[in-house]
Amino acid sequence: MKLIFEKSFPGRIGFSKPTDLFDDIKLEESIPIKYLEKNKKQLTEVSEVDVIRHFTKLSKFNYGVDDGLYPLGSCTMKYNPRINEKMAGLANFSYAHPLSFPDMAQGSLELIYRLDKLLCEITGMDKYTMAPASGAHGELTGVLIMRKYFLDHGEKRHKMLIPDSAHGTNPASAAMAEFEVVEIKSNENGTVDLESLSHAMDGETVGLMLTNPNTVGLYDEGIESIQKIIHDKGGLLYYDGANLNASLGIIRPGDAGFDVVHLNLHKTFSTPHGGGGPGSGVVGVKSRLIPYLPTPVVALEESSGKYYFKDVGEKSIGMIRSFWGNFSVLVKTFAWILSLGPEGLYECSKASIINANYVLAKLKEYYKPAYDRYCGHECTLTGREYKKYGIKTLDIAKRLMDYGFHPPTIYFPHFEPYADETIMIEPPESEGKEVLDDFINTMIAISKEAKENPELLTSAPRRTPITRTDDAMAVRRPILTYDDELRLKDELNYQEKDINF
Amino acid sequence: MRYIPSTSEQQKEMLKEIGVSSFEELLTSIPENVRLKKKLNLPPALPENELEENIASIAQKNIDFYRMKPLIGAGAYRHFIPEAEKALLQREEFWTCYTPYQPELSQGTLQAIFEFQSHISRLTKMEVVIPSIFDGASATAEAVLMSIRLTHKEKIIISPLLHPHYRETIKTYVEPHNIEIVELPLQDGATSADMLKQSLDNNTAAIVVQSPNFLGGVEDIQEIVEITHQNDALFIQVIVEAMSLGLLKSPGNMNVDIVAGNTQSFGLDLSFGGPHNAFLATKKEYVRQLPGRIVGETKDRDGKRVFVMTLRAREQDIRREKATSNICTNHNLNVMAGNIYLSLLGTEGLYQYSLLNFKKAHYLEKELLKSGKFTNPFPYPYFNEFLINYQGNIEELRKRLIENNFIPPLSVWQFYPEEKFRQSLLFAVTEIFSRDELNKISNLLSQ
Repeated sequence: MKLIFEKSFPGRIGFSKPTDLFDDIKLEESIPIKYLEKNKKQLTEVSEVDVIRHFTKLSKFNYGVDDGLYPLGSCTMKYNPRINEKMAGLANFSYAHPLSFPDMAQGSLELIYRLDKLLCEITGMDKYTMAPASGAHGELTGVLIMRKYFLDHGEKRHKMLIPDSAHGTNPASAAMAEFEVVEIKSNENGTVDLESLSHAMDGETVGLMLTNPNTVGLYDEGIESIQKIIHDKGGLLYYDGANLNASLGIIRPGDAGFDVVHLNLHKTFSTPHGGGGPGSGVVGVKSRLIPYLPTPVVALEESSGKYYFKDVGEKSIGMIRSFWGNFSVLVKTFAWILSLGPEGLYECSKASIINANYVLAKLKEYYKPAYDRYCGHECTLTGREYKKYGIKTLDIAKRLMDYGFHPPTIYFPHFEPYADETIMIEPPESEGKEVLDDFINTMIAISKEAKENPELLTSAPRRTPITRTDDAMAVRRPILTYDDELRLKDELNYQEKDINF
Repeated sequence: MRYIPSTSEQQKEMLKEIGVSSFEELLTSIPENVRLKKKLNLPPALPENELEENIASIAQKNIDFYRMKPLIGAGAYRHFIPEAEKALLQREEFWTCYTPYQPELSQGTLQAIFEFQSHISRLTKMEVVIPSIFDGASATAEAVLMSIRLTHKEKIIISPLLHPHYRETIKTYVEPHNIEIVELPLQDGATSADMLKQSLDNNTAAIVVQSPNFLGGVEDIQEIVEITHQNDALFIQVIVEAMSLGLLKSPGNMNVDIVAGNTQSFGLDLSFGGPHNAFLATKKEYVRQLPGRIVGETKDRDGKRVFVMTLRAREQDIRREKATSNICTNHNLNVMAGNIYLSLLGTEGLYQYSLLNFKKAHYLEKELLKSGKFTNPFPYPYFNEFLINYQGNIEELRKRLIENNFIPPLSVWQFYPEEKFRQSLLFAVTEIFSRDELNKISNLLSQ
């Protein structure tokens, strides 16, 4: 499809022209010419109608949760309620300037304050910072808090333990805090190997970053021993909240011994992913870590009943962004929690766990599970046995698209010998049984196709707006802007026939 | 529960198929000791109509922010957002989808990101654009880390006129690494080239300068870039008010090495400070050290032009602890918003809006100075934000503005607690103010 630049037509405009151009103020009298760009910057020239049609067409090349099942494991692609969007869009919220006086923004401050209390109750923590913008940003915040805690206690700890099943963000975040990453192997049950853990944990180690249920979808049955091993050596336990959707009203990280948690509000708490954000990665801590939270936090002055920004103090890790947090995401989270109440939250986790185990039970005969045991809110299967038919897991995923499904997460988690060629399926609570039955039947049909007519898989997808992409060429010859493309066309003098620009 | 389709009957059927007699049997791997034994102590579920009233009543505790036009910017600017943009952003295909890992089902998002990269490249005259880091502050911190990776040097110099939150964020990000941060002393309304010369040495990785700076001034970037390059350091320009890109000289035309630019002004709500979005733009030679996601063009099996996430070998899901950053989810929907906004404005619109911001701010400053109640402490060129000293009672001035439905300008004192800033106000004037309103403001403040 054409780019917006290729629809440009000299003289067209898509903005409404201001009436008073303030011609009495002369540009050249107000600023030396050397600070100005000589010519107008060339963008595009299109009408409002062109823009509406262009982006409406683009939207039809996308697939969202509202289009159907989106079973990406560890991503919790659940329904994003419309009422939440409306609440976040209230003009008093959306037009609020972040540096207006606290007196002007008591509503926004109250919402942050009350959300903190709700999240503390749901997770068993003592205080949250709303600043982090994403899960990884929350991880960075969390590991910096852990680092500061030890520095403050005169301890130099420089290692961080991370299971081999962890998301890539965990080691990357630990590295940003200059920690040396020590990988802990998973055992034959798919969970943390306690012997390796106690061997690795020592007085130079900050602690462990753990996702629970982990990325294979399994609750760590050794959680009590894990927390003892870490805490006995003076370490701290970090909870990656990516998979909290299996835990609401069932188990709280705070009760299980976790000292720091981050929550992906855009996963468990129903706020939209937006094609890759904005989300929010709020971080909760136990009381002994409160002095290290990013500054500021919202506090309530009991005497006046007024909310205000409170400086966290000199032990704070400092600021991790401008202003206070992804506020509109916080409003959506608040709305969702109030919509569900305590029973509703529990029902979400219950339904998602039943969904995942149902898919596992129905498909394990066709796609060998990484571990054959009950799972949490997601199950991890493998596409191993189709290798002999020349079929990769990728082919299975692409074939699903032809049947109108978004594929699950593939090739993650990856660790030998249990988890390779993985297909991680997360069917959240907002998927009904008949949707799962459709998906299950389709997966079974694809397994049959893989054996009998593998070409259907290797040539898939055929029913999507485009076919498979040449990712290697994108790296080999990077075209990262429209002007790159124009230059390339120029250089090649339109000789190149293999791209249909 | 209306968000959970399966009935309890259906759940029973599913449990039967799984081979268990109760839901509890699925939870046996959770040790009994850590199970939650009570109901969560949360308010009971609210029906939708009550929820709406409940949250609306919290929102009403804010002032009427729609009616109150802000004379404050300082990192968050109220610009007009065209309805066409808002309407397009309502399309679920754009906002209920995930990061575009599967290009066959996400060409809409991918092409829009590619277009945004192209837009920003044209606005900055930089070759490569990372479209989305969370906000200007975190993008600036990532730019600093990138400069350290590129130079293997251990000192960073920052302008005192960089947004205070951005300075704090850099310090937080850099703290674990063995890096010296030198903040130049504040002299007046521009970064001092002399001070910079004194601080620069051959261990300096980069200098970070915001322009227009926190006090509104347009910096003489060309001069300080030259000084920086003479010392083999990298120059990072921070742009907080993206609207300035429509008028001011492009960083790429001044040989800037890395640009960190907040794009809140391109079609995003104020929303109490977040979510924003920011880009990182740089030269092609530095591309391997860029943090975050980027979209490139390639072809599909049918030879069609298509778009994919590319140069992924830098990223955390592939490189883990060796990645250039931990960033994963970013602010892609705000990239979509920015791209739609820039498409609507186009060549002429961005220029006109940018020019109007400039002119309206200069008009108000002129009017205020006429009254004799204001003086200009630092006569530097500026874009749409200016620093001005008030001779009267600042409390009074604030009150008068609020009574007339304007959010007062920033008292700079709160960020620069120096005597000379006691009476200093930082005004931001965008295109949303009419001449009548500006006259009204100057009348109010000239009494």
